[in-house]
Amino acid sequence: MNTTTYTENVHDIALNTFEVTCFMFPMDEWEIEEDELEYPDGHTRAIVGFDGAAKGGMVINPNEALLTAIAANMLGIDEPSQEEKEGALCEIANIICGNTVPLFAKDDKICVIKPPRIAAIDENADALFMGMFNEKVNVLLDEGIVEISIYVEQD
Amino acid sequence: MAINILVVDDSAVMRSMIKKTILNSGVEVEQIYEAGNGQEGLDVLAKEWLDILFIDVNMPVMDGMEMLERVRTNPEYVDLPILIVSTESNPERIQIIQKMNAGFVHKPFTPEVLRERILEALGVLESQ
Repeated sequence: MNTTTYTENVHDIALNTFEVTCFMFPMDEWEIEEDELEYPDGHTRAIVGFDGAAKGGMVINPNEALLTAIAANMLGIDEPSQEEKEGALCEIANIICGNTVPLFAKDDKICVIKPPRIAAIDENADALFMGMFNEKVNVLLDEGIVEISIYVEQD
Repeated sequence: MAINILVVDDSAVMRSMIKKTILNSGVEVEQIYEAGNGQEGLDVLAKEWLDILFIDVNMPVMDGMEMLERVRTNPEYVDLPILIVSTESNPERIQIIQKMNAGFVHKPFTPEVLRERILEALGVLESQ
């Protein structure tokens, strides 16, 4: 699968996950006011590694507004705690990664998705997955913006 | 008929989400029990009357596949409706789950899909 195709696939998988799980909808950049176009600052990121038929990782990096909305919508509460926000983000990461990894898996073989975790503030994902092919996808939603980074080891 | 459900998942967020989605699905619920791993799930199963189990695959202590195997090797629970909840799409793995007489719910899921899977597992709706 070429890069463009799987970037589009990851974008579609992420949109479907946010729509079904968090009741959020896609937006285009022109639909968002410039002062509301807050790109993620990397404060709270979830990392999921995968191994087996494909090896690599995924980093899910939402802006603060989206992080809060993910937890609020998933749990049905107004003011989620930081712990709830991180738990919800990890679940979203698990779902997006779990649905994405088959794109990279060779011959329908089994991939093992590792438990998602929250990255340390200064953790460098590029260094963690050094030498792997890397692609970034921005997903714009009515509740905020998320940057998804995919790292895949290539033959 | 209101049913008793057990949700086994190591993520408290996912347990809450499954519970919320079940309650939004229109299925009549008596009680929803929770467990954080397969072993805790078996403990609840030994104590409570349950109509259906929702089991995650990857969990610490005892994972979902081992729990499924243990439940099915107990003659008392051979026909107990079980739904495995996962992002899994590997046909081999899904076949293993089906061979163990369990249904499958692919994440992410809507209340409509969950309702359909529950009714299929309970034998109220014919599986497609």
